[in-house]
Amino acid sequence: MKGADAALGAAGLAAFLALCEAVPRLGLVDEDYFPPAGRVADALGRELSDGAFWSALGDTLTGWALGLAIAVSAGVLAGVLIAVVPYLREATASTIEFLRPIPSVALIPLAVLLYGTELRSVLLLVVYASFWQVLIQVLYGVRDVDPVAEETARSYGLGTWARVRHVLWPTALPYVMTGVRLAAAVALILAVTAELVIGAPGLGARIAVAQTSQAVPEMYALIVVTGVLGLLINVGARSVERRALAWHQSVRGEVAV
Amino acid sequence: MLDVHGLRKVYEGSGRRTEAVRDLTFSVEAGELVCLVGPSGCGKTTLLKCVGGLLAPTAGEVRLAGRRVEGPPPGMAFVFQEYGRSLFPWMRVGQNVELPLKQKKLGRERRRELVADALESVGLADAAGAYPWQLSGGMQQRVAIARALAYEPEVLLMDEPFAAVDAQTRADLEDLVRRLWRERGITILFVTHDIDEAVYLGERVIVLSASPTVVQEQLKVDLPAERDQVHTRVSPRFAELRTRVYEQIQAAKRGGAGKAVQ
Amino acid sequence: MRRLLLRLFFALALPAVLVAVWWAASAGSTNVYWPPLRTILGTFPDVWTADRLRTDVGPSVLRLAAGYATAAVVGVALGTVIGSYRRVRAVCEPVLEFLRAVPPPVLVPVIMLFAGIGDTMKIAVIASGCVWPVLLNTVEGVRAVDPVLAQTARSYGITGPARLREVVLRSASPQIFAGLRQALSIGIILMVISEMFAASNGLGFTIVQFQRGFAIPDMWTGILLLGLLGFLLSVLFRLVERRVLGWYHGLREAGRRSP
Repeated sequence: MKGADAALGAAGLAAFLALCEAVPRLGLVDEDYFPPAGRVADALGRELSDGAFWSALGDTLTGWALGLAIAVSAGVLAGVLIAVVPYLREATASTIEFLRPIPSVALIPLAVLLYGTELRSVLLLVVYASFWQVLIQVLYGVRDVDPVAEETARSYGLGTWARVRHVLWPTALPYVMTGVRLAAAVALILAVTAELVIGAPGLGARIAVAQTSQAVPEMYALIVVTGVLGLLINVGARSVERRALAWHQSVRGEVAV
Repeated sequence: MLDVHGLRKVYEGSGRRTEAVRDLTFSVEAGELVCLVGPSGCGKTTLLKCVGGLLAPTAGEVRLAGRRVEGPPPGMAFVFQEYGRSLFPWMRVGQNVELPLKQKKLGRERRRELVADALESVGLADAAGAYPWQLSGGMQQRVAIARALAYEPEVLLMDEPFAAVDAQTRADLEDLVRRLWRERGITILFVTHDIDEAVYLGERVIVLSASPTVVQEQLKVDLPAERDQVHTRVSPRFAELRTRVYEQIQAAKRGGAGKAVQ
Repeated sequence: MRRLLLRLFFALALPAVLVAVWWAASAGSTNVYWPPLRTILGTFPDVWTADRLRTDVGPSVLRLAAGYATAAVVGVALGTVIGSYRRVRAVCEPVLEFLRAVPPPVLVPVIMLFAGIGDTMKIAVIASGCVWPVLLNTVEGVRAVDPVLAQTARSYGITGPARLREVVLRSASPQIFAGLRQALSIGIILMVISEMFAASNGLGFTIVQFQRGFAIPDMWTGILLLGLLGFLLSVLFRLVERRVLGWYHGLREAGRRSP
């Protein structure tokens, strides 16, 4: 079954590539706007042998990783704090509900003014967007803590820190992992967006340059690269999530949304 | 009314062939209440799904009133064991009962009549506006039964419908099925793994062998039509019949094991 | 009554404190980039006049609505087809996984090639970014229809369009809504970005104009308005969701009480 599915998937991918080759060749769309897959592949080859491409890729990944790391640490810290301090959850609920849906791109003009095209511009957007993904999941997780386990820990005289470490954290971990996975995807979107719109160095800025200089195949090649990057991040995050949760499946089964 | 002839079902999947049902022949007369009982894992559910047209048999055939069953026929209603998953959780109780009637293209007045009557019959006249998940397990299964009744089937198929409810509720539901059968004269084919339940409910009990399934024995239940949980279950005849079915099932298990060794 | 007051207190206390802190901290601000909150709020009604709301906010919201609606319809329709057939799913899965992974904003330059810089481009950008979460979640939801439920429907002769409407889509609706929620935040991002790239009106365009013209308090009012828009849309979404998925939340609540 698995093998057959993989074969069908490969066939689908091949058909997709063939379609991308055939549609412009047959003149169904303008080749200048949508170059055949072969020419995009050539452009991709040129990019891969260009040092500037690799440094752009490095810049994008730096912004992504740094922003994600900050967002995850801040999200987990804030989530645990909100769970542990009495009344903090009630007090922060409305504020979180208000701040979370604010689109991070609203901060673009501010980022431009404050930091220009520096890395910090990218970080501002990435951290703001991915922080909420983590925080919300952590809050779901701590809400799920079994009151009996909590009472038991309390009755044995475990201190706050020990309760966080042995009761709260293990319960919340699956949710934290889900939050990290969602945040990783959002962080990439915002990193590329910041580069594209603000012009901070990275793949996004390279796409903008390719666009303005009418280097259409290069533009497509770079977009493919961002897609592959996103795919790798999704697959990687999912496998880390699965591994971290192997022992937790039974608890999780019904809460997975 | 219902004729099963030479029914065979083989599952094929990932290189393995599993013969669930080998060769089954039996029939159910119009207005009869027949219980199918057999050791657990003997393909009872497979058999019932073949009868209901939900699964295509590998060989043999099922006939309902002389016509060959090739998909779910309009004259049959199915009550599943998993009541919680068989009711549509996004519909209220009344809508759950009404949906199949809409499919039958009945008029609004007629639908309303049937829904009210069916819910009344199962003692849930007040629950039409509730969601299924607001009800207890036993009440949910009552809704599923009401849905089947409103459908006005010639044959009602019930697949271990009370396996997942507690003992008290179960006794109530058994009496409900007996009462509905006597009031409405529907034909019922009732699958269970519980010997007492089979003898208490049925007019006839068909004992199935272990998988691959054949009919081990058919037994007429000559208990009075008027049955009740307290007296019927302690009557000497009930004990005899139960012992007899029990022995047959034990024999079926041994026979099944013997065949497997071969 | 007391409980209600207490809840009200908790809901309002922190926002009030935060606004007060912002107000106080920025009161004497001479930093051009951080104007006093008083100035920003004072500027707000001057900037966002009824006229402006009509010429800039209106078009933005309409484009968002058009793109989002297109994505929802296309995503649910395609997702239902792909989710219903195992083989189709196996063929499409890798391609869909890749297309979903492309960060939607990079589509802006591509779609500009085809559709220029008009409304069509912006609607197409929003639709092509929003469609993936809806599509993939619909596939998951349609695939995961409970087998007992599916058999119940079959045995009662519920087939064809009725099955699709009453069983499949309803049963997939929690996942579809999860997709629609993700799509909404992506849609807002794309609405703003497509206008920042190339436009002559719209919220994104106006805010960037303010920034380029160093009209800092005006720019801040734009950021606030955008935040308010995001918040309002999310409240609206939640209202709709609570109505459509009331049964689902009740079901989960019931499951939690008696597992």
